[in-house]
Amino acid sequence: MYKVIVIDDEPLARSLIIKLLQSYPNFEVVDECPDGFEAFKSIQKHNPDLLFLDIQMPRINGFELLEMLDKPPAVIFTTAFDEYALKAFEIHAVDYLLKPVTRERFDKAIQKCQHQALSNNIEAVSNLIEDQVYEGYQHRIVVKDRGNIRIIPAEEIHYIEANDDYVKIVTKEGSFLKKNTLTNIEKILDPNLFVRVHRSYLMPISQLQSIEPYEKNSHIALLHCGMKISVSQAGMTRLKSLLRL
Amino acid sequence: MLKSFVKYGRLIPLPILLFIFGIATLPFSSGIDATWKSLSIDIGIHLILVVIASFFLEWRIRRYPTKVLATAHATLLAFISAILLFVIADLFLCTLIFNDKIYLAHIDDTESMRLIMSWLCLGWVAHITVLRKHQDDNQKEIELHQHAVISLREAELFRLRQQLQPHFLYNSLNSINALIQLDPEKAQEMVGKLSDFLRLSVKRDVEESINIQEELNYIESYLAIESVRFGNRLKIESVQSGEDWEKAKIPAFILQPILENAIKFGLYGNTGEVVIKININLRDKLLHVHIENPFDATTQPPRGTGFGLEGISRRLTIIFARADLLEIKKQDNIFSTIVKIPQ
Repeated sequence: MYKVIVIDDEPLARSLIIKLLQSYPNFEVVDECPDGFEAFKSIQKHNPDLLFLDIQMPRINGFELLEMLDKPPAVIFTTAFDEYALKAFEIHAVDYLLKPVTRERFDKAIQKCQHQALSNNIEAVSNLIEDQVYEGYQHRIVVKDRGNIRIIPAEEIHYIEANDDYVKIVTKEGSFLKKNTLTNIEKILDPNLFVRVHRSYLMPISQLQSIEPYEKNSHIALLHCGMKISVSQAGMTRLKSLLRL
Repeated sequence: MLKSFVKYGRLIPLPILLFIFGIATLPFSSGIDATWKSLSIDIGIHLILVVIASFFLEWRIRRYPTKVLATAHATLLAFISAILLFVIADLFLCTLIFNDKIYLAHIDDTESMRLIMSWLCLGWVAHITVLRKHQDDNQKEIELHQHAVISLREAELFRLRQQLQPHFLYNSLNSINALIQLDPEKAQEMVGKLSDFLRLSVKRDVEESINIQEELNYIESYLAIESVRFGNRLKIESVQSGEDWEKAKIPAFILQPILENAIKFGLYGNTGEVVIKININLRDKLLHVHIENPFDATTQPPRGTGFGLEGISRRLTIIFARADLLEIKKQDNIFSTIVKIPQ
């Protein structure tokens, strides 16, 4: 018996999937959710084996939702956008159903599910963010905060610090951990606004208050929030070119 | 420049060779006993100068901006260059072979011949260059025309895409798909609404201005479908005011994309009920359309999926030659788009 959650912001689209699933008694729909936030809670509660997931949804999108999950279940994407198909297969989605969803295509997707073990299908989720899902840079970072999802707008970030397998995103409301590398985060944020001043630090240029020399070949950046962070020699070069010094 | 000279240079050596041949045979035709040394200096200097002059001509002629008087310009240039060539060659020769009195006298005797020969040669070079330049320009024009054709085709495609809006269509078909199973009568109704919308979309032209009432009907058919798709979450409030507002005109495909934008912003930012307000009023010969939707700054929808406010602004600027017709405001989680259409 597979536990299934259907996630889509359109009620009729959810109904369609649920209806189509009725012909498969070994799939049980345990919940349906209209957005990523509810889906996140529901997934933690029900621990499903399979998600039917729309990509464009309110608040956070389907990819962002998957990123938040420690052990994502198997996923079948359902969307009208064929632009994301490649992306979806890169992260080992079971299948990618284009709307309008037909019975024939749906059956094929279910067959795929039954042929492969549904566990650990999604491997590369932490790298999801690395490639750009959207055109252009992201204006926000989605993190987990005590079992909830939190969206941090880019302009609220004080600085980001590398922390082993995690990055620590510091804002005025506190710091948040996200499982990813600083290099990946650097790639998705606008390079005109964020600068990698050090191997371990990425900071928004707007946070910079002053730069002071510190020892040989290195500097200290004083941020508006009062924090002092190290600036490496290479970081200083990048900082200078961004500030046109 | 060097590249084009190499490319079209194939024709240039002929006049230059003839010219050098002419210079070399001058002493023989006038029957003097020229020393090899003087003759080779004479030929060498002319060869160097004529090549330099050809480069110069190529450079100047290619930089001449229009086709008007291009041939006259080239002819004049050739004439000036010929005189310069003649004078400079004379100067060099007088300094280099000052002790060969016989040859110097021969140069003096053949002055007019030399001048005519260099003019003929450079004139020839200049005309070849002009012809080549014309050919290049024509080629460029053809390419330019092809580009124009392509961008026209792209504009046409854009129009088609605007008219059909594939994602909207696919999502609507998906809803119909569901309704066929759940509520066949409602499915039929939805098919009707979708056809209405498509019919109105296909009929209109991008350039055409349409009556605001007609545009509202179109928007209504669009909203009817969106309401089915998003269920009870979507509420629309529409208010019109001002005298004769219903006679106002508006370019096609302006309001619907803004509304689509508002709906998406509204729906993507919230999970509850979303109220979209449309306020239309006509004052001071300006039709004001005010569209308001709730909006959450932290949850902006992903970009690049047809949120084309920039495109609309560009179109309004092109149509009315004014850049102040689209205004966007974000205040207290309310996103407002204001469009002004001069009447």
